[in-house]
Amino acid sequence: MSEWEQIQRAVAGVGRRRRWQRAWGGMWKGLWVGVCLWVGLVAVYKVYPVSIQVLPLGGLLVVLGALAGGVLGGWRGTPPIETARWLDQERRLQERVSTALELGGQAPGEWSALVVADAARHMGRLDFRRMLPLRVPVLSRWVLLALVLGVGLGFVPEYRTRDWVQRQRDQESVQEAGKNLADVSRRLLEKRAPALEPTRQAVRAVGQLGEELTRNPLSRSEALREVARLTEKVQAQNREMARNPALRSMDRAARSADGNRSGTAEALQRQIESLQKSLGRADVPPDALEKLRRELEQARQMASNLSNPDSRAAEAARDNLAKALSSLARESQDLGAALSGLEEAIAALEAGQIQQVLQDLEAAAKDLDKLRDMAQALQQLQQEAARMGKDLGEQLQNGQAEAAIATLQKMVNQLKAGAMSEEALRAMREEVSKAIRPAGPYGKVPEHLKDAVSRMQDGQTAEAAQALADAAKELEDLLQQLADAESLQGALGALKRAQACIGNGKAWSLCQGTGFKPGGKPGRGVGTWAEEEGWIETPPQTGLWDNSGVERPDMDPRGVTDRGEGEVPEGMSPSSVKGQFQPGSQMPSITLRGVSLKGQSTVSVREAVQAAQSQAESALSQDQVPRAYQNSVKGYFDDLERDP
Amino acid sequence: MSTEQEITRFRETYAALRAEVGKVIVGLDAVVESTLGAVLAGGHVLLEGVPGLGKTLLVRTLGEVLDLSFSRIQFTPDLMPADILGTNLVMEAADGRRVFEFQKGPVFAHLILADEINRATPKTQSALLEAMQEHSVTAGGEIRRLEEPFFVLATQNPIDQEGTYPLPEAQLDRFFFKLLVGYPSAEELTEVLNRTTETAVARLGRVVTREALMAMQQLVRQVPVASHVKDYAVRLVLATHPGTGAAVPMARQFLRYGSSPRGAQALILGGKVRALTQGRMNVSLEDIRTVALPALRHRLILNVEAEAEGITHDQIVEHVLREVPEVPAAVAV
Repeated sequence: MSEWEQIQRAVAGVGRRRRWQRAWGGMWKGLWVGVCLWVGLVAVYKVYPVSIQVLPLGGLLVVLGALAGGVLGGWRGTPPIETARWLDQERRLQERVSTALELGGQAPGEWSALVVADAARHMGRLDFRRMLPLRVPVLSRWVLLALVLGVGLGFVPEYRTRDWVQRQRDQESVQEAGKNLADVSRRLLEKRAPALEPTRQAVRAVGQLGEELTRNPLSRSEALREVARLTEKVQAQNREMARNPALRSMDRAARSADGNRSGTAEALQRQIESLQKSLGRADVPPDALEKLRRELEQARQMASNLSNPDSRAAEAARDNLAKALSSLARESQDLGAALSGLEEAIAALEAGQIQQVLQDLEAAAKDLDKLRDMAQALQQLQQEAARMGKDLGEQLQNGQAEAAIATLQKMVNQLKAGAMSEEALRAMREEVSKAIRPAGPYGKVPEHLKDAVSRMQDGQTAEAAQALADAAKELEDLLQQLADAESLQGALGALKRAQACIGNGKAWSLCQGTGFKPGGKPGRGVGTWAEEEGWIETPPQTGLWDNSGVERPDMDPRGVTDRGEGEVPEGMSPSSVKGQFQPGSQMPSITLRGVSLKGQSTVSVREAVQAAQSQAESALSQDQVPRAYQNSVKGYFDDLERDP
Repeated sequence: MSTEQEITRFRETYAALRAEVGKVIVGLDAVVESTLGAVLAGGHVLLEGVPGLGKTLLVRTLGEVLDLSFSRIQFTPDLMPADILGTNLVMEAADGRRVFEFQKGPVFAHLILADEINRATPKTQSALLEAMQEHSVTAGGEIRRLEEPFFVLATQNPIDQEGTYPLPEAQLDRFFFKLLVGYPSAEELTEVLNRTTETAVARLGRVVTREALMAMQQLVRQVPVASHVKDYAVRLVLATHPGTGAAVPMARQFLRYGSSPRGAQALILGGKVRALTQGRMNVSLEDIRTVALPALRHRLILNVEAEAEGITHDQIVEHVLREVPEVPAAVAV
């Protein structure tokens, strides 16, 4: 290698090493800048209510700062001549290398050879790593200090104003409500797309509102206004649908079903017949079987007490047992329940085999249990069949649209088959004509049924079949509407829940329902045993809901509970000020915690007053008002009644 | 002879010259080296100092060690230009005709000692302008070339001395170096006493012939200079120009005029001589820095403010050296 090449190689090596060193230094500088920015962001986050996203952003800045510093530091390479000058300065080579590099690149001459040789001699062997070490700079201490400061700041609690915290909570609840509204809408559409366009639009509008609230959370009042506006719209649509009487009866029927429907009327009948066959009778009362079971248990008890057969008392007991068993056998035969174990037990008792008697009675008890279960199932099926209705008229009367469709379809098939006897046709005509009156609320169904009856009278079976098919189609349409109404109800429920969540600033899961409490409706608990409210009408209050007779010893009052008339504490005597509404004067007002909805009220004063009175009465009757103030409160609201 | 041999010979000759001068001149190392450097670079030197510091002795010694013709001109207030350059005299020819004949003045020599140059009037001082720059004398409408090499080694007393006239700027600019001769140290003074108050007399030999000196001057000019070193010299000179953006703060505040291009030439040539004398084949930044003071100080023209505040040329040159970076910022780590 010539001296010239040697110099060139050395200069190139130093240049590379300097580039790395610059990148290394740049990385630390970038890291320092990034850490400073991060600490600054942490400090800002602690003082100002900026998004928490600034913290990971700050972390990213640290990494990016280090990377950017490294890249910027090592980005620009150094020309060899500059490296040579730096080398001259660093190694005190008196510009030998830079001059040599400059001259070496020009035309060869005696002077350039001399200069190159002189430079090579003085440069000697360069150890780049020792000359340009990649040491951790002093700046690293400051970086470490800033990092420690940043971490320390992390433990300092954030300063936030109460208003901001409240706004944040509101925003979160609005966002969550929006997300859930969107979810409910999506689920409703996925489960079953509404058949009616307005319903579809309403459900979609709920989803859109949810997405809007999720993307751009509004303030609480704005969000409530939006939700209320949509709720009004959906409610109006819901009320519109509720005016259809057919849907009301269908909804009532759907609500009265226990959810374990055993299929169509035919399938139900088949199951009933099968059970009757197994039981051997058309109806076996489960209560009688239960009574029989209790008597059998008593007999078993008696048999188990016959431990000492030699005593005279045992003799009498055996006689009693024999009588009891005979009575049981007779009763079971009366009920049609053949209990073979009972006969065998009587025989074993006569033979004095007490153990055998016990075993036989056990077997008889098991048989009786089975019979009782079957009887209960039969009873349930019969009740279900009764609800469903045994013919078309009853089915329509009971709102069993699906069963009615099935019956109509069966009739259509029979008519189309064309092999019906005169008697069967008459029976069908009678069934259809009987169903015309109950079909009144079902839109055009009575017209189709009338048409079918007249066609059947004229012997036009094909046309009659078509009329019945049209009636079935009409019922299917109504079923679709019912399903749409359910979707609408689902959307409405979600909207109301969203209103409650946003209004109270609570999480979605905490706005489930009112729960079962005095004055409230049965709500959701472990196992839903009733809907919160019907979509068309409030379920009628029946005796089943009356729990006034339920005894709860654990809830009984203890000690003296009658505290007599309430007494107002001293200095707290209530004074009622009669409200006066005079033009031009100030209107007395009270501040209530709640949502302020601006706009034109759609409720008349009288209605509002009545609602307030109703709520006041409810609160008074449930002892929600301290006894001492009850009279005053009652007086105040009674005055309101007279004022308007 | 190869270049390497020439360089070796240069160094040997220089060392011999230094040694010979050192026999007479005690101390004043920087002054002696700079004077020799200017001679080897082919430039004129202005030595400034109070009387009695050995300025004239130094020049006389040089005249003795260099095998060159030597003239001494004692500048006095009544000295006229013709006394320096020469004059046409009416002479009687062999045939009895009277003709004008040019009588050469003392300037017609290789080495001129212009002693106490600032004691003559500016008119007389200016008589040397053409000789110093063009190495020629115009008299009676005829240009007469001076024989090479030609040096003017002038001495002057500080300007505040009685009976002195400041040298014109044009004259000053023609001096390659201006050297300030200071007082000797105690040891040097003792040695001066030893040498001058006893019987021993130093015998000087002629070390360099005219041809050898000219060859040395040629060699000096061949020394290569890296571009960034030239750039440094240029930046130094530009930093003294008060009206430009490159000027340093002191130059802007205290200078009326900065250095002429001759200053840059002096920096480079002076650096080349120093490089060779140091055994290097190239000029370094340090060479430039070392010669900056003698090369630039007399080329800066102070303004009234500087004079009022007592700012010296050397302070400004030192400020320039401090302010102008050797290596541009982009190169430094």
